[in-house]
Amino acid sequence: MKKWASLLLAGVMAAGLLAGCSGKQETSGGQEESKEETKQAAADEVTKFSISLRTLNFGHVEKSPDINQDKWVKRLEELTKTDLDIRLVPHKEYEQKMAQMFATNDIPDVVQGQGGVTGKEMAGSVEAGVFMPLDDLLKEHGQNLLKKIPKEAWNRMTYQGKIYGIPEWLSNPSRRATWIRKDLLDQTGLPVPKTVDEYLNVLRAFKKLGVENPYMGRQDFKYADTFFGAYDVFPYLSQFEEVNGEVQPKFFDSENMMKALSTYKTMYDEGLINKEFATINPTTFKNTILAGKAGMWSMNANELIQWETQLKESVPNAKLEIIPSPVGPDGKGGYYLYGDVNRSYFINAKYKHPEKVIQFLDWMVSDEAEKFFTFGVEGENYTMNGDKIDYKQPTDSQGVDEERYRQSFLWLVQDTTYNKGSLSLTEEGRNLMSVFDNILANEGRDGMEFEPRLEALKKNPDITPLSDTPPPVLITHMVKMVYGQEPIENWPKVIEEWKSKGGKDVLAEANERFQKKEGVFLPRK
Amino acid sequence: MSTKPEAAEALPPGMGRRRVKSGGIARLMWKYKALYIISLPGILYFLIFKYIPLGGSIIAFQDYNIFKGFTGSEWVGFAHFKTMFEHYDFLRILKNTVLIGLYDLVIAFPAPIILAILLNELRLVLFKRVVQTVVYMPHFLSWVVIAGMSVAILSPATGILNQLLGLFGIDPLYFLGDNRYIRSVLVGSGIWRDTGYGTILYLAALAGINPELYEAAEIDGANRWKQTLKITLPALLPTIMILFLLHIGKFLDFGFERVWVFLNALNTENGEILDTYIYRAGLLSQQYSYTTAVGLFKSVVGLVLVMAGNFFSKKTTGESLY
Repeated sequence: MKKWASLLLAGVMAAGLLAGCSGKQETSGGQEESKEETKQAAADEVTKFSISLRTLNFGHVEKSPDINQDKWVKRLEELTKTDLDIRLVPHKEYEQKMAQMFATNDIPDVVQGQGGVTGKEMAGSVEAGVFMPLDDLLKEHGQNLLKKIPKEAWNRMTYQGKIYGIPEWLSNPSRRATWIRKDLLDQTGLPVPKTVDEYLNVLRAFKKLGVENPYMGRQDFKYADTFFGAYDVFPYLSQFEEVNGEVQPKFFDSENMMKALSTYKTMYDEGLINKEFATINPTTFKNTILAGKAGMWSMNANELIQWETQLKESVPNAKLEIIPSPVGPDGKGGYYLYGDVNRSYFINAKYKHPEKVIQFLDWMVSDEAEKFFTFGVEGENYTMNGDKIDYKQPTDSQGVDEERYRQSFLWLVQDTTYNKGSLSLTEEGRNLMSVFDNILANEGRDGMEFEPRLEALKKNPDITPLSDTPPPVLITHMVKMVYGQEPIENWPKVIEEWKSKGGKDVLAEANERFQKKEGVFLPRK
Repeated sequence: MSTKPEAAEALPPGMGRRRVKSGGIARLMWKYKALYIISLPGILYFLIFKYIPLGGSIIAFQDYNIFKGFTGSEWVGFAHFKTMFEHYDFLRILKNTVLIGLYDLVIAFPAPIILAILLNELRLVLFKRVVQTVVYMPHFLSWVVIAGMSVAILSPATGILNQLLGLFGIDPLYFLGDNRYIRSVLVGSGIWRDTGYGTILYLAALAGINPELYEAAEIDGANRWKQTLKITLPALLPTIMILFLLHIGKFLDFGFERVWVFLNALNTENGEILDTYIYRAGLLSQQYSYTTAVGLFKSVVGLVLVMAGNFFSKKTTGESLY
């Protein structure tokens, strides 16, 4: 059986190689036409199209021998009268593979992007006219999409006044949260902290209890940026602000930046953060927390139930809770806000039946789709008890994988804040929804963002921040300042260095774009 | 990018030296047609996968746009090279690359030679085999794993190395979080991983030495040290020279992954090399033309080094790649 499968694989690969070698342009064009002819007759019944989807680390997807033969894909095809040819794009090499796909002109009928029209993964394809504008099609075939998806998300899909993609949206972009070991906090007898000083006191109390990492640190302050949020100085991509009519990055606010750095320095000096945080990678970060050796940290809120279960395996009486993030001098706090768009779908300009794809995606926001993706199929995943749905929660990890795949991966267009249907079934699920609605919705730091990206930032990776990491030029100084290798008072000089290494061009371009209102997204909070 | 030295590797040493009188080439080719047919797949491999892609380097002289291809992209001449040489960090990164390459050449290159000679002196065959297998092992670990282990071993609080240093009264050192140590860590991890594996070729060469030479030397009263100096080393010299020339061809190619996994904010200043810079600028920022220019620069330097090294080696020892 195995041998047979590998033979088949080898055959497929060889065929792919051959196809790749022969003139790209011609074959792809020819294939399309012949496909077209055979399809024409069946066009009224079943719509055939290829679609590229990033695997997004879904276990069920990555382990599947052929996703197109998956039973849920088959069921989806049946429900929507489509014939999908899903082409998976590996999660880790997503951007490179996408660029490769565009460079070799082997572009599926529907391409899944991530975020806006001019994101890196799109590699300039929308500007190059690879995809078609969708405004008229949406008016005719996508009324439900237009109604359900918020305007902010559509704005991200617009290029030169026209909509080019259909977004899967995020109605609550505040995703990251401050987590605390409630059982430890109760032991200290302290109330839930609010300000930075109260937070530091709790951390000191944790230290006294013998907690190894009162605050869990991590390389490059990634998922360890709580206090930069309190002082509103995130040196991230979406964090520009207007000060006296001039656009500048938030880290230009030296006073608050130095306060934030001093907070970390205090933590470092008093041993409230691991002395080796500069070399703590994501795996160590998670393992340390799950081993019960950390008191407080930052993580995405949707992980709460899973992490608590895993933590309880090593510390049975542990209790996790998400608390409001520390507030700074302006009385606000929180983490950077995610984009309004998770995944987005673009239709190849050469595809002949775009209206069918729109109808397919329009169905995704219907009640029928919600029920199908949330609860699966009657008889197999749930039974009806009068009007109520008796959902069979999966018990083994394979079942959980399959459920997550159905609810998140295969459900192409939905509000990705949380899965209401399945969370409302359990006590802890309802708690998590309340965390999103009552804690996270009220915090978070947003800034001005430029989309397409500033040209000046593209030129020099050293001064370019990512969505959740500071530019390399800054990280080096920030980490050194916390480690005491450089005085924190030097921050204004760091800003000068950033400017001299190309930051001046960034400022000039940002201000010009701001004046002309070209691709400027203003803060949402 | 660094195809030239690799292509040279494929030719058995000495092949290139054969001289054929003009006019007779076709006749000779006919005579040895079987050999030519056998070599055809290899030649095709290098043509298709190494030489033809070299042509892609022209994008270093263009503003490459993936939708226009290299036929439609705009020509910019040497603009990307100019940007590279004018980059404020270029000298720092080049200095790191050269220094790390130099340490690697001076320390890591001789290591397998010494180890091979030491192994060769072992008399107990079983012990020799066991040691050999054990020292090969790290070569098969990925750099990500090695970096993970290094973080644990070098950790100031819990690492075994710092605990050993503690016995001698030395305060814990944050090896991975300090510009002063990063280059040693980079070269050292390479030695740990590849020294054992590197001995294979030398051990093969040592096995080929005629034992009569040693017997004669013993009768002449030479001790083991003298035998090593006068017989073993000279016999190894051709192998050493060839490997040395191949090594300097890759002088600036220290390798991306093995550095990337060790870099962090505290050691980037001394640890960043051209390869990691190319990754950041090219793949993360999608500046294909610019990074091709940097890569091309590296390859040209490698080519010049190989040719110069080959020339001197030919003059001094008579050994050469071609």
